Amino acid sequence: MKKLIYGIAGVVILGIAGALIYKALNSSLVYFILPNEYAAHPDQYKNRRIRLGGLVEAGSVKYDDKNLQLAFEITDSIKTYPVTHVGAPPELFKEGTGIVVEGHFEGQTFKSDQLLIKHSEVYKPPVDGQPIDIKMLKDTLQ
Amino acid sequence: MAVKSGETKRPMWLNVFGISCLILFGVATFLGLVTSPPDVNQGDLIRVMYAHVSVVWVGFVAVIMTAIFGMLFLWRSKAMDDVWAVASAEMALIYFALAIIGGMTYSKPTLGVFWDWDAKLTLTALEFALLVGYFIVRGLLDDPKQRARISAVVSIIVLASLPFNWMAAKWFRTLHPSKSFDMTSSGVKDTMAPIFRNILLFNVAVAALIFIYFLFERVRLGRLEVKAEALEDSIQPRSEVVRV
Repeated sequence: MKKLIYGIAGVVILGIAGALIYKALNSSLVYFILPNEYAAHPDQYKNRRIRLGGLVEAGSVKYDDKNLQLAFEITDSIKTYPVTHVGAPPELFKEGTGIVVEGHFEGQTFKSDQLLIKHSEVYKPPVDGQPIDIKMLKDTLQ
Repeated sequence: MAVKSGETKRPMWLNVFGISCLILFGVATFLGLVTSPPDVNQGDLIRVMYAHVSVVWVGFVAVIMTAIFGMLFLWRSKAMDDVWAVASAEMALIYFALAIIGGMTYSKPTLGVFWDWDAKLTLTALEFALLVGYFIVRGLLDDPKQRARISAVVSIIVLASLPFNWMAAKWFRTLHPSKSFDMTSSGVKDTMAPIFRNILLFNVAVAALIFIYFLFERVRLGRLEVKAEALEDSIQPRSEVVRV
């Protein structure tokens, strides 16, 4: 009987602790914000270092490999912002992939100093017989 | 509680089991490094995934087992329950350490950083710290009953945090990628190509067998430890600990 009471008390306490952890993690560990969330309250993030998460907009990537200037657009399909980043793009960086950029807004442009990849959970081997991208191959060999 | 002669020797079946694990580990590594095709996005980096995911999954199971035996000890105070709990806790600690090392190795070339404090990584660090705490607590306490009871409570706390880690990428915004296999309201989601999935499951199975091998070996040693402690007590009763 005593053990049963302890058992029930234990489960209740663990449940409360769990709910609190969940709440704390949910509110304070917002790892990144989405472009539309920034757009809704730009003043809240003014002059603050933020992480912006979204997808690399198709057709928006421009990379100047002489000066390591990377420019692209980040989107959550509601709101899109231009991003500039100094440095070479990571290996998995490409159009349509998930990314998290760290930095701050200057006007409507996001100045990023760290570019992280948040890739999808889709894993598949390359398709056989896919034509080789000759241009990419030439670029690599140069 | 007498120790029979020959009892201190590792039984033959356990030796055979251990060698089988080693051979299967070789097969799993070959499958991951040679048989597996590269990933369309990650290329050869996908090979790290087999090692990383399998140690994480088995590490989670090890934590669950530690807590189950901890709870059993709290319920019925059998010394062997504590032996099983410690054995799986040691493996949980090692598998979590491997998960973090493998995760960092995998994370740098794919995601861009070794470490970042997102929900999943923070929880993993917390759980690793708690597992270290589990052994610190055990080292501090001399009374076997008290030692087993308090460390059991620690293991239950780790267990309580486990679902948050498991679901982190779904419940919170993380850098860590989401799960490829998932139960959703519209059925089972599986976004990993079958060849990757099969090799991964083979690696998980081998990681589990290695866990079981060390579990049995550690429980065998733990049983001898319990007997040795009982023998010592029968020769010279344990003196009361003087509390200051």
